[in-house]
Parts: sequence; structure tokens; C-alpha cells
Amino acid sequence: MTTVALLGNPNTGKTTLFNELTDKYAYVGNWTGVTVEKKVGQIRHSHTKVIDLPGVYSLNPITKDESVVTNYLLGHSPDLILNVTNASQLKRNLLLSVEVLELGVPVIITLNMIDDLKRTGHYYNLKTLSTELGCPVRTTNARNKEGLTELKADLVRDQSEIKPNLPLKLNYPLMVNQAIRQAATSLTKDYKVEPKFAHWLAIQYINNNKVVRKYATMHQLKPLLSQKAYYDAQKFDDQIFETRLSFIEKTLASATEQLKSTQHVAITSKIDKVVTHPIFGLPIFVGIFYLMFKLSFDWIGTPLSGYLDGFLSGPISSWANQFLTQAGALPMLRSLIVNGLIAGVGGVLVFIPQIFVLFACITILEDSGYMSRAALVTDRIMEMIGLNGKAFIPLIIGFGCNVTGIMAARTIEQPKERLITTLISPFMSCSARLPIYSLFVAALFPRHQALIVLSLYFLGIVVALFMAKFYHVIFKAKEHSVFIVELPQYHIPRLDIVWHGTWDKGKGFIKKAGTIIFAGTVLIWLLSNFGVHGYVTQIDQSFAANLGQILLPVFKPIGISTWQPISALLTGVLAKEVISSSMMVLFHTSNQTALIAMIGGSFTAISAYALLVFILLYIPCFATIGTIKSETGSAKWAAYSVISSLAISYTLAFLIFQIGSLLM
Amino acid sequence: MNHFMIKQFNGLDDATAQRLHSLGLQVGSSVQAVRFYPFHGPVIIQVDHQKIGIRYRVFKLLTGGKPL
Repeated sequence: MTTVALLGNPNTGKTTLFNELTDKYAYVGNWTGVTVEKKVGQIRHSHTKVIDLPGVYSLNPITKDESVVTNYLLGHSPDLILNVTNASQLKRNLLLSVEVLELGVPVIITLNMIDDLKRTGHYYNLKTLSTELGCPVRTTNARNKEGLTELKADLVRDQSEIKPNLPLKLNYPLMVNQAIRQAATSLTKDYKVEPKFAHWLAIQYINNNKVVRKYATMHQLKPLLSQKAYYDAQKFDDQIFETRLSFIEKTLASATEQLKSTQHVAITSKIDKVVTHPIFGLPIFVGIFYLMFKLSFDWIGTPLSGYLDGFLSGPISSWANQFLTQAGALPMLRSLIVNGLIAGVGGVLVFIPQIFVLFACITILEDSGYMSRAALVTDRIMEMIGLNGKAFIPLIIGFGCNVTGIMAARTIEQPKERLITTLISPFMSCSARLPIYSLFVAALFPRHQALIVLSLYFLGIVVALFMAKFYHVIFKAKEHSVFIVELPQYHIPRLDIVWHGTWDKGKGFIKKAGTIIFAGTVLIWLLSNFGVHGYVTQIDQSFAANLGQILLPVFKPIGISTWQPISALLTGVLAKEVISSSMMVLFHTSNQTALIAMIGGSFTAISAYALLVFILLYIPCFATIGTIKSETGSAKWAAYSVISSLAISYTLAFLIFQIGSLLM
Repeated sequence: MNHFMIKQFNGLDDATAQRLHSLGLQVGSSVQAVRFYPFHGPVIIQVDHQKIGIRYRVFKLLTGGKPL
């Protein structure tokens, strides 16, 4: 088994390359210390395993995400490193390559997005590059599947066939070189560190790599620790940087070739002229999001969901009912399957079209390169609440799922800002909350469905921003925000990449339908069919009713007058989708139309809106609570998140219902 | 036109300076300011065929201004 580690800067098309090279992949395992999922794939018809590492600018990490790569290199030794670079930005990409080449592990560098480079009228002599860097250099364009066959042939070798690389040796200034040599020698002699690794470790330590410094302290590597003050006082890190950069500039200058025909298409600049306009940039951002919601809820998603519902609650439900009656199944079992599972789980599955359209839109925004522009145009607003534009991206991803949103917050540099972003993420209205909105807007606001849903999304954002400002003041976050975003070239989204990304995000939803939503539905069916006296025919005597009725006085002030929604809310903590499937079971209906009529009868416009606001903001689902705990590393923050969101949601719902009732 | 030269990294926090270095910026690099956002919002600069968004404060410091 050969292990290949994929490593490179962000925006080099690394993930696309990974998807093109491998056919099946899985998220597995934890890295030491932090819970990060690594993506491991297999190259078709081979014994080569490919590990996709997060994109990094250098091996000295600033963010949590980036430290994964350095930790991987400290703890594992891959057979081969495939260094993916963006061909048109080779200068800074090679800064990372140099660090990797110094390790002495076999490396192949691929100049990806080679087409973009050709368009600028340049080309590089691969032979020169290869000689200077001391490793094979290939060219690819993963988006058009160019150069992949050749690259794959390089990767599917057996371990024994891979040629070892000599570590790249740069001419660091005399003093630096001496320091590296001394430290490496005594690491090898006294600590039995492998010579090549010792050399690399010494360079990284001297270059002030935080993770390597921690590693040295942990392993008590005295030769490095004792010289720390000297290294830092001499500003060796600056000298190392300058040596590397001038080596790269020299190498590139000797390898650059001019192409005769240049077909410079400045499409990116043209789009950016409009999209990142100082004044219109923000309205365009809002417009793009409005369009995204229109597509998901009005134009494509909702009509498809309607057909699916008709099919599930019509033919499927009555067929199952008939089949079970003919097969002589117990009435109780029939009720569990037809009224419980088909109605409940099916009631969630009908939202697949809406959710997938939303995920497709988010993927298109990510893949095209618009996301970093969104960060840019929102930065000034985010600055006011003490965050930066980059925090907007996790929040937008949170619209899909809060868990992935919180994970995306790893790219934020400042720890305090990351914590704030994590805490406000659950207020982003995730796709799981959609089913319940859809039911209520169909019942009580049939003419303004998109508008009401959009208002909830906006309210979520407003609450999140308000809380962010509040935390910013409380935490006394004084450090300046680190805000540096790269604006990559735009790409026309490719259908299979968009589908891949959509499926990656959406499959969790389908999986949840089979597991937690299934379990939640069975639970609520049990609670609603059994009471203190065993199996009950009248739902009013069931456990669910008892529980709901006990809590009814608490919920009266926010406008809930029947027990069913309360029981449904309790199950919603399992997963927000369960709220709608529970409603389906509790109101004893088998299709959406009937449930919508029931809801229409037991709510007024105001009480319905108050309830929706409550659902938007109340306790995060289990998965989100778990993620907050693992990302902040403390159960306290998770508990805090539960309590604070409950308090906020109750207060807001209370105010809306009470003030609304006075006005109407 | 909007061409500037990077004069210093002094006064920047470590993380920002390090990230700018990683993007290939050093003292003496010439940058082109592509766009300024209103109310001292971010600035888009272009270096070596790549566009980067940075904060106004950082831009001022890099081009020789005093720390705000």
C-alpha cells in the first residue's frame, strides 16, 4: 500500500484534483489533539491511498485548520507527497514547496491550472524547474482532466519504485546554516532523530514554527530549546524567509519562457468590476442570496417537494396500508408504519429537493470563487461587530448545516473571533429548520411564503450579529482582526463538481433520515400511542399529551395553545427535522395538506410567527452541541450555548407574541 | 497611477505579517491598489498577478504610514 499525501496552498484546485484522482473516499479518524476529519481516498484499480490535507500557505500554521498539516508531517511519513500548486502564482506556492522539499520525503510538484498560466503569456521550462528544485515537476488542469493520466501513473507505483529525493539544501546565511547544522547533529547524536528529519526539524524550529516548537518542548529536545533566545534575537526567521524568496525568484527567472501567442482574457477583472464594486458590491451580495432563496423555495425546490409529497402520502402510503391489512399485520404495527414512519420520515424526505437546491447554490458560490468576494464586501460591516468578513463564510455555510458552519470557522485566525463565530453559528437558520417553516408558511402565510422565510433567515443573522457585538464587548477582544483574503480567478462552475459538492453536503441529510429522524419518529410514535395505562386509542391520554400539557403554561405566553407543538419541540433537539415529522404523527395526519389545515386551525398569524422565531433560535440540535463542545474543547461552552439560545428564543418569541397581540 | 511600494512590516501583528510573507510580499514589492472600499473598508491590492483583500489599516502601514 502506497500512501500519497496531497498538500498545497488554498485555491490551487487541490480538492478537484483529489476527486478526479480517487474514485471512492471516506472521512475517517481524528488527528492527534484536534478532532479533524481527514479525507482519504483510493486511486482506481490500485493500491495507492491518497490523503487530502487542508490547504495551507506555509508549514507554520496560523489557524487550527493549518496546524493539521504540520502535525501530520511530524507524526507520519507518507511514501510520496504530491504538492499541488497554482501555476500562475508559482512564486508564493513554491514558498511552501521549499519547506516540503527540505523534509527529504519524495515529492512530485504539479503545476495545476496550467491553462490560466498560458493565458498570461508565460510558461515555465519544466526541466529547469525540476533540476533546481530536485524533484519531478508535472502539469495538470484538473478541471478539464488534463495531465491526469500521466500524474496517476506516477502515483500508482509501489513503495519500492519511488525514487528517494535528497532534501533540498538552500544557501542560508552562514550563521543560520551553522545553527541548523549544530542542532541537527546533536539531535541525531543524542536523541536518535533520523538525520534528514533532524535537519528539517531544526530549520522549522529556528523559523519559529509554533507547532514544531511545541513538539520540541513536548519531547524535551534540549539542543533546540536551549538556543531559542539566540535564534529569535538574531531574527533568523527573517533571514530564512529572504533566502527562500530569493532562491524562488532566481529559479523562476531562469525557468520562465514567453509564449508567442497570448490570448489574455481578463474575464475575472470584468466580473470583479461589478461584483466587488465599492457601492454596489453589497446590494449584489444581497441580490445573489435572494436569488438563491427564490430558487430553493419558490422556483425549483418547493414545486418538486410538492410532487414528492403527493407520491409519498398518496400511492406509497395507501399501498403500504393495503399491503399490511392484507398481510394481516397487527393494527398497532400498521399504525407505526403508516402513521409513524411513512408519514414522519417521509414528511422529512419530501424536503430533499429544497435542501439540495440550496446546497447546490452554496456549492456554486464556493466553486466559482464568489465566496471570498462576499467576505470582502461584508468586511466593513463585520468590522463594526468586531469580526471580519471571513466570519461571514462559516455563517453562510451554516445556512446549510450549523455543524459544517462551525467547522468552517477553523479558518479564522484569531482564537477569540473563532469562539464568537462558533457561538453565533447556531442562530443561522440551517436547512433542517426549513421543513417546519414550509409547513407554517403554507398554512398561515400562503401568499408571502418566500418573504416570511427570508425574514426568519434575516432575523437569525441580526440576532447572530447582535450577539457577536455583545460577546466582543464582554470578552474585551482588543487584538486587531487578521483579514487577508485571496481573490482567486473565477471559474465557470462545472456540473459534476457542483453535483459532487452538493451530494457531499446533502448525503448527511438523507443519512439522518434513516437514523436519527427514524429513531425520533419511532420515539414520538411510542410516546403518542402509549400512556400510563398502556396502549391508548385516544392520543389525549398518551405520554406525549401529558408531557405537553405539563409544559403548556410555560409556552402559553409565547402563543402556543395546544400541547402537540410542545411535544414536537422537545423531539426537535434530536434533529430539527424531527419537529415536522413529530407534528405529522401527533396531529394524526398522513399528508402535508391535512397537516397544513390542522396547523391553520390551531394558530393565528402572530402565534405562528412567534413559534417560528422560537424554533429558529432555540436549543441547537445534538450534532451542533457536540460540535461546539469539540471545537471549543469545553463542555461549558456547549452548555452555555444551550442555555443562552433558550433564553434568547423565549424572550424574542414572547415579545413578538405579546406586542403583536396588542397591535392586532 | 495607483502603484505603491511596500516600505515596512513594522507595527503589524505577527499573524498578519506572516500571512503577507506567505503570499510573497516583502519590503520592496510593488503593489497596485485596485480598489478602496468606502468608510476605510478593505483595499484590494494586486501583486504578481494575484488580487488580495486587506484591511485599510494594514495597507496604510505597509505603504509607510504610521500605526493607527
